[in-house]
Amino acid sequence: MSSLRIARAAIRASPATFRAPIQRRGYADAVADKIKLSLALPHQSIYKSQDVVQVNFAAESGEMGVLANHVPSIEQLKPGLVEIIEESGGSKQFFLSGGFAVVQPDSQLSINAVEGYPLEDFSADAVRNQIAEAQKVATGGGSEQDIAEAKIELEVLESLQAALK
Amino acid sequence: MLSRAARPALRAAAQSAARPATLNATNAATYATLREIEGRLKSIRNIEKITKTMKIVASTKLTRAQRAMTESRKYGQTSNLVFEKAETKPIEGEGKKTLIVVCSSDKGLCGGIHSGMSRKTRAILAEKPDIELVVLGEKCKAQLGRSNGKNMQLSFAGIGKDVPTFADAQAIADQISLLPTDYASVQIIYNKFINATSYEATIIEAFSEEAILNSPNFAAFEIDDEVLANLREYSLANSLFWALAEGHACEQSARRNAMDNASKNAGDMITRFQILFNRTRQAVITGELVEIITGAAASEE
Repeated sequence: MSSLRIARAAIRASPATFRAPIQRRGYADAVADKIKLSLALPHQSIYKSQDVVQVNFAAESGEMGVLANHVPSIEQLKPGLVEIIEESGGSKQFFLSGGFAVVQPDSQLSINAVEGYPLEDFSADAVRNQIAEAQKVATGGGSEQDIAEAKIELEVLESLQAALK
Repeated sequence: MLSRAARPALRAAAQSAARPATLNATNAATYATLREIEGRLKSIRNIEKITKTMKIVASTKLTRAQRAMTESRKYGQTSNLVFEKAETKPIEGEGKKTLIVVCSSDKGLCGGIHSGMSRKTRAILAEKPDIELVVLGEKCKAQLGRSNGKNMQLSFAGIGKDVPTFADAQAIADQISLLPTDYASVQIIYNKFINATSYEATIIEAFSEEAILNSPNFAAFEIDDEVLANLREYSLANSLFWALAEGHACEQSARRNAMDNASKNAGDMITRFQILFNRTRQAVITGELVEIITGAAASEE
């Protein structure tokens, strides 16, 4: 009796196994147009090889949008916004202070940045005050290194201000 | 450290344990040993207090250090993934200079953390004596300075006081890139955290531009030429940060273990000395009683 039941179960199971490959292929197609994003900061990893649809960032060579199956490339980031369009359709914006983005051959994107925070965490007033301070140092009579540092600071802050508007 | 200090005390204890039976008659001697034992008990108790506190401090620091380590590891791995995919190999051959960066720290009392790295470095140096060294932290500097002082190019102090920051790693990477020699390969030796009780001296490669350009799969990547130098320096800083953070976590965990063992040993010693102290005191009292009784019996007659 019990063997009969097993046999019946097997019969019932077999059509499912025939159907499964078709389903799996459909799922694989869906995965293929996702890109695995790792966004790492020294003190925090924001994305740990998660599937996302698209990533836009500002590289030294110009603004870039990365989709799945992008040509492998190594790009130096400018201080600027990174926009991540997630699987659910929502998008998240982070401001990165600079770093490197590497598109790997197998639809993986790894971004390393020195500092980065969600855009909504920045206060426009604080940015304005710091710009004023940096400008004072940059135009002041400090050492060459101080002026160079202040100029870099200004570049970062100005792009941050532009991103906040 | 602790065991060495305690050894004479133990020897004295063994002697004094044998003494009461034979030398009980001379009261002065037993009183002296009693006081000696008491003094030692006190000092061992103090040592135990110190090691226990150090253990607690290390455990609280360890949780922070471990969190920093997991993040930094992720960061370093993300950064080095590109070299893995490009199958970059260090360039070997005649006239190619190699630099070793040893990531130790300034503080001791943490088991074999530093000596393990020094040993590994010496093993590499024994094979290739012309390798140059950069040492982070006073401990390995002292150890390697004795045996390989002439290889040392640069050393940094003040590392390992707190969880290392990326700014530290950047400053070190900056100084390294300012060194006059152009190195074909840079190897960073650090302690890899395996679990809470074990660690292993491991190497992270930081490749030179030449090595990156010559890697077999590098042609697949699109890259601007002027970016390559930046990528190299940035990935050196990233790897250094990873090594520093993981080394720091290892050090805290090793210190916690070392202090845990020290406290246990001190506890054992305290019980032993306590028993010895009680026995000796009892022996002295018995001796005095015997004297009084015999004295009384003699004067009665």
